[in-house]
Amino acid sequence: MSAPSLAPYILKRPWLKRWIVPFANWYADAAGYRRLGLRADDLIPEENDTVQLALKRLSPKESYDRVFRLRRAFQCSLAHQLLPAAEQTKPEEDVKYLSPIIEEIEAELKERADLESIIVQRKK
Amino acid sequence: MASPASLGSRALRASRRVPVASFQRRGLAAAASGSFQYETGDSSGIKYASRDLPGPTTTLTVVAKAGTRYQPLPGLSDALEKFAFKSTTKRSSLRITRESELLGGNLSAYHSRENLVLRARFLREDLPYFTELLGEIISKTRYTTHELDEEVVRVLKLGQQGLLASPSSLALNSVHAVAFHRGLGEPLHPTSSTTISKYLDVRTIAEFGRAAYARSNIAVVANGASHSELSKWVGEFFTDTGNGSKTLKLSSPTSKYYGGEERIAHNSGNVVVIGFPGSSSFTSGSSFKPEISVLAALLGGESSIKWSPGFSLLSQAAKEFPQAHVSTNHATYSDAGLLYVTISGEALDVAKASTNVVEALKKIASGQVAEEDIKKATVLAKFRALEAGQQTDAGLEATGSGLITQGKAFQIDEIGAAIDKVSGDKVKAAAKQLLESKASVSAVGDLFVLPYASEIGLTV
Repeated sequence: MSAPSLAPYILKRPWLKRWIVPFANWYADAAGYRRLGLRADDLIPEENDTVQLALKRLSPKESYDRVFRLRRAFQCSLAHQLLPAAEQTKPEEDVKYLSPIIEEIEAELKERADLESIIVQRKK
Repeated sequence: MASPASLGSRALRASRRVPVASFQRRGLAAAASGSFQYETGDSSGIKYASRDLPGPTTTLTVVAKAGTRYQPLPGLSDALEKFAFKSTTKRSSLRITRESELLGGNLSAYHSRENLVLRARFLREDLPYFTELLGEIISKTRYTTHELDEEVVRVLKLGQQGLLASPSSLALNSVHAVAFHRGLGEPLHPTSSTTISKYLDVRTIAEFGRAAYARSNIAVVANGASHSELSKWVGEFFTDTGNGSKTLKLSSPTSKYYGGEERIAHNSGNVVVIGFPGSSSFTSGSSFKPEISVLAALLGGESSIKWSPGFSLLSQAAKEFPQAHVSTNHATYSDAGLLYVTISGEALDVAKASTNVVEALKKIASGQVAEEDIKKATVLAKFRALEAGQQTDAGLEATGSGLITQGKAFQIDEIGAAIDKVSGDKVKAAAKQLLESKASVSAVGDLFVLPYASEIGLTV
């Protein structure tokens, strides 16, 4: 599921964005997943229906690449090694490929829940 | 409604504004305000027609000339039909469903060999809402991959299984394929699952949708709506309709009749369909031959009166075979037609009845038929044509397709007049011509028993 995020609040304020973005970039790099060749969206917990459905909606290529990255990262982790610098995820490759789909599914579910609970007031 | 987006919708507000008293109430002495004739109009390239039948409900359809005949790849018409009322850029499919439920509307879509029809039936005062909805469906559907995979393909496969499981629909598709080859011969639903996996993807479907729902390719037809209202709302809500696709042109070569024979083994029923070249639809002009529909009524097979075999020649011919069911239909298309006799039931009875069917046809051709029977058939054919025009479903599709191809609505009074003029000699001449041309024969079922065309005396 998508986690609560401060990003929209920060991005709306240019002065805050100017402060936070360099720090955020540093933090993402320091988190270390990029050294194992992963992307941020690979770290989303997948043990729930929403993310499972989102994974089904990935294109075959994206789905294959995701499994490849996960297995490679596993292997690195077991071997206590980092990938060679050329194979590590570059910041521009670290794009959101799964979270937009998750957000779409969550919006669908929310709309369904809203529509199930509406109270219709008919105009006389 | 729940969201500000729909609160702001002009269509909904207009729906609410219309006072209930505005739909027609007739006192005993008042003249009928509804007209049986269609009034036609044109709103910046979109043709529309309406018939103000008195009554509290309206049927609104969008007819697109994009049936299986015009699809560039197999299964596209079917898939585009299944994508109707799926999510658009403005609202989700769930919201469309819930909103029309609240208004008591009924949404459906279907396709025939020539047309793709989106239909909404609702209370008269909701015309603006449903006009907006149909306008949105044809211009703003999103065609997403997940809807294709999760919803559309599933339903497509059900349609395919339905086709393969039913001997009569298999035989009917087969007889069309034998008679017309490509174009009109395309099956209504894909017959093998390779077509779904190989040809269908959202980009192709979206492109086909753009070509199918182009201004020049659609007609909006309403039953039970006043012409001024319809023209007002079509002018307002169909402004986003596209002008067609740049890469895809929908076209189909003029139909040519071939004829031939096809035999398909099947273990859940026996059907023999015998087809002959028929007449094209009324709106096509010169190639419309009313005597073929009289011939269809004369051949008949099914009685229109309960507890009686009826006067029709085929019901007389098949009387000894109670396990066989015989019926004659006449399928009309914009530039061709197919007169076909369907014989279904127990294999042995079907085999024997089909011999009698051909004998009956030969009898008409040689003139051994009572004038009385031809008169009865003429009246029955007239009743059937008028009734089909009066019933909203068939009438709406025929009107839409006539509007798109000829700019002419389906005026059923004129068809009735054309059928009245048919003489007995003309019917006999038509029957003779049928027997001279090549027949199209499809046998589905127990092929050991079902006859070949040459065995029942037909040339293929």
